[in-house]
Amino acid sequence: MMRAGPAIRAESVSQVFGAEDDPRRVVALDGASLDATRGELLCLIGPSGCGKSTLLNLIGGLMTPSAGEIAIDGQRVTGPLPKKVAFVFQESALFPWRSVADNVKLGMAFQGVAKSERADRAREALEAVGLAEFADHYPAQLSGGMKQRAQLARALGLKTEFLLMDEPFAALDEQTRMVLGEDLSELLARTGKTIVFVTHSLVEAVFLADRVAVFTARPGRIKTVISVDEGHPRSRSFMTSDKLARLRNQLYDLLHDEIRKTMVLRDPDGKGRT
Amino acid sequence: MSGMKLVYHLVQAAFVAALALAWYLATYNGYISPILLPSLTASLHEFWLLLASGSYWPDLQVTLTELGTAFVIAAVLGCAIGYLVSRSGFTVRVFDPLFAGLYSIPLVLLFPLYVLFFGLGSGSKIAIGATIAFFPIVLNTIAGFDYVDKAYITAAKSMGASGFQMFWCIMLPAAFPVVITGLRMGFIVAFLSILGTETIASLAGLGHRIVTYAESMDPAKMFAYIFFAILIAFLLNFLVSTAERRARRGPT
Amino acid sequence: MSATAALRDRPRRMPLVDFLSRPGGARLAVIALILIVWEVGVRLGGDPLFWAPPSKVVVAFFQLIGNVPVMTALGTTLWELIAAFVIALAVGVPVGLLLGLHRFMRGSFHPIVLMLYAIPQATILPLVILVFGIGPASKIAFGFTHAVFPITVTIVAGVQNIKPTLLTCARSMGANRRQILWNVVLPHMIPSFFTGMRLAMSADLLGVLLAELYVSQAGVGHFTRLFTESFEPQKLFALVAGLAAIAVILNELCRRAERRMSRWHE
Repeated sequence: MMRAGPAIRAESVSQVFGAEDDPRRVVALDGASLDATRGELLCLIGPSGCGKSTLLNLIGGLMTPSAGEIAIDGQRVTGPLPKKVAFVFQESALFPWRSVADNVKLGMAFQGVAKSERADRAREALEAVGLAEFADHYPAQLSGGMKQRAQLARALGLKTEFLLMDEPFAALDEQTRMVLGEDLSELLARTGKTIVFVTHSLVEAVFLADRVAVFTARPGRIKTVISVDEGHPRSRSFMTSDKLARLRNQLYDLLHDEIRKTMVLRDPDGKGRT
Repeated sequence: MSGMKLVYHLVQAAFVAALALAWYLATYNGYISPILLPSLTASLHEFWLLLASGSYWPDLQVTLTELGTAFVIAAVLGCAIGYLVSRSGFTVRVFDPLFAGLYSIPLVLLFPLYVLFFGLGSGSKIAIGATIAFFPIVLNTIAGFDYVDKAYITAAKSMGASGFQMFWCIMLPAAFPVVITGLRMGFIVAFLSILGTETIASLAGLGHRIVTYAESMDPAKMFAYIFFAILIAFLLNFLVSTAERRARRGPT
Repeated sequence: MSATAALRDRPRRMPLVDFLSRPGGARLAVIALILIVWEVGVRLGGDPLFWAPPSKVVVAFFQLIGNVPVMTALGTTLWELIAAFVIALAVGVPVGLLLGLHRFMRGSFHPIVLMLYAIPQATILPLVILVFGIGPASKIAFGFTHAVFPITVTIVAGVQNIKPTLLTCARSMGANRRQILWNVVLPHMIPSFFTGMRLAMSADLLGVLLAELYVSQAGVGHFTRLFTESFEPQKLFALVAGLAAIAVILNELCRRAERRMSRWHE
C-alpha cells in the first residue's frame, strides 16, 4: 500500500540543551524542516555542531524535540521505533563481549524477533555485507571497516524500512570509505530502504545521496537541499565524472561560509581556545 | 551548588547523624558493654582532651620520625636504582618485572624477620616502611625515565644536546611527574605500613598507643587515638596530594 | 654471500652468554647471585640467632611441610582467607550493583564508601580484635574489611564507564530496561569485576596476615611469633617464604582468571 506524503517529515524542529539560565545552554537546532521520500538516500551535511546528528537522533526517536514535530509515515515520533528505524553509529556500537553473529542476533532479540528466526536472518544479513566467514569473530578481531559492516549487518537484520546512519565511515581511512560507499549504494538499489546519512565528507555526500541537505552553522537550520540526479547503484565512473565534481564544488561554496562561522564561534572570547 | 549535590550532601549528613545516634543509643542503656564500645560522648570527650593536652605528641613524634626516615631511605634508593635501571632497555626488562613481582606479595611478611633483626624498637618499623615504600618509587622512576617520548629525545639529539643537557632539560622534566607520583604513593604506603606494624609489635608510636588502650580496657581513650590517627592520615594524605599537584604543575 | 649463508656461518655464541642476554635468563642469574651471596655471607659471618643461609632455609621448609601443627595453622589461615573473601563478595557485589545502577544511591553513598576506603585499617585492628576475639573470627572480619572495598568500587566503575553509545544503541533497537541490564550492563561489567576480585584477594590476604601477626592462637601468626621468640631464623624464613609463595600463586590465579574474562577487551 503506497502511503501518501513523505516517508519522513521534520517540521520546524528546534532542539535546546540546557535550561534557560544554564550558562552551557546550547541551541542545537532552530526551526529545521526537512522531508525524505521513500526509497531515497538523503544526506545531511554541515559544519561541526550544526545539529545534523541531533536531527538524526530526533528522527529516530532517541530524543523528543523542544519544538516542532517529526513524523514517520505520517505518525508522530515520540520514542524509539525499533521496528521501523535502525541506527548505525560512528563509534563501534557492537557489543565487544559477543561474536559478530551474536551481536546481530541480540539486536533482533531486542526488537522482538522470534528465536527460531534469528539464526537465518543473521546469516542473510552477514552475507549481504560480505562478513559471512567472520560470523564467529569478536569485534576486537575486526578492522574498522569490518566493524562498521558488522554494525550494518545488525541493522539489516532488523529488517526495518528506515536506516539512520550517523557518520558511519568517519573513523575509517579514505580507501575503505570508498569501498563501503559503493557497497552501500548497491545495497540501497537492492533493498529500496530509505536512508538518512550524516556525513562531513563532501565527496561522500554527492556520491551516495539522492539529495543533500546542507545545514547552516549552529543554531542549525536547513540552508538548502541539492538534488543529485543519478540512479543507484552508483558506479565507479560517477566518482570520476564532471557532474560529481560540479556538485561537490557547489556544496563547497554553500558550506564554506558556514564552516568559517563555526571557527569563529569556537573562539567567542578570543582566548585562542581550539 | 547544584540541586542534586545538595540533596546528596543532606543524605550523607543524615546518614552520619543516624550512625552517631545509633552509637549513642547503643551505649546509653548499657546494651553493649562499655568495655567494648564506650559511649560516643566519652570517646569524643577523650578525643578533645587528647587534642587539647597535646599528650599525643610523644607517640606522634615517634611515628612521624619513623615515617620520615623510612621515606627518605626509600626515596633515595628508589630514585637512584630506578634511574640506573632505566638507562638500558635490557636492564628494564630484567628488573622491572622482578620489582613488580616482589611488590605483588604482601611485604608485611618481612616484618617478623625485621623484628628478629632489629627488635621491637623503631628500627623494625623504619625497615618495613622503607622496604614497602621502595617499590612504588622504584617502579615509577623506571617508568618515568623509560617512557620519555622518543620524539623529545630525537629532537634534542638533532639539536646537538650534550649528555648532561639531555638529562637535565629533557629526561628529568619529562620523568618528573611520574616520579613525583611514585614518591607520593611511597609516602602513603610507608605511613600505612608503619602504622600497621606499630600496632603489631612496637614499643611506641600511634599504632602502639591504640593497642595499649585496647589492652588496658580503656576503649574511650582507644577511640580517641583512633580518631586522632585517622585525622593524621587524612592530613598527611591531603598534604602529599597537594604537594604532588603543585610539583606536577610547577616546573613544566 | 647470500643472506641465509651468512646467517648459517656466523660464529655461534656460547649458550651461557646467549642465556644471559635474554631478560628471563639475566633475571634468574640475578636471583642466583643473591642466593649465593646470601649463602656465603651468612656462613662466613652471620649470627645464627638471626641469620640462616638459603640451604638451611630449604631444609627447614621441607621440615615444616611435614610439621602437622604448622600445616594445620596454614590451613586455618587459608580458610580464614576464603571465608572473608566469600563474605566480601556477598556484601560487595550487591552494594556495588546498587550504587552503580542507581544514581541517587550512588550520589549519596559512594562518597561515604570512598571515605571509609581511605581510612587506614591498621587503626581499627585492635578494635576488631576486641569485638571478635582472638580466634579466626577476627581474622575473617579484618580480611573482610580489606576485601569488600575493591570489589564494591570496581563494580561501580565497571557499571559506570560503559560507553553511552552502547546503551543508546540497545535502546534504539527496542531493548527494555531489564534487557539492557542483563545483556549490556552486566556483561560489560564482568572484566572490572574480575579485576576487583584480584585486588580484593590481595587485600584480603593482607588483612588476614596483619590480624594473624597481631594476635594468633592457631594460625600462622602464632608460628611467626614462636619462631621469632625462639630465635629459629631458618624456620621463620621458611614460613615467610612459604606464605610469600602462596601469595604469588593466588595472585597469578586471579590474574589468569581476570585475563580470560577480559579477552574481548580491545
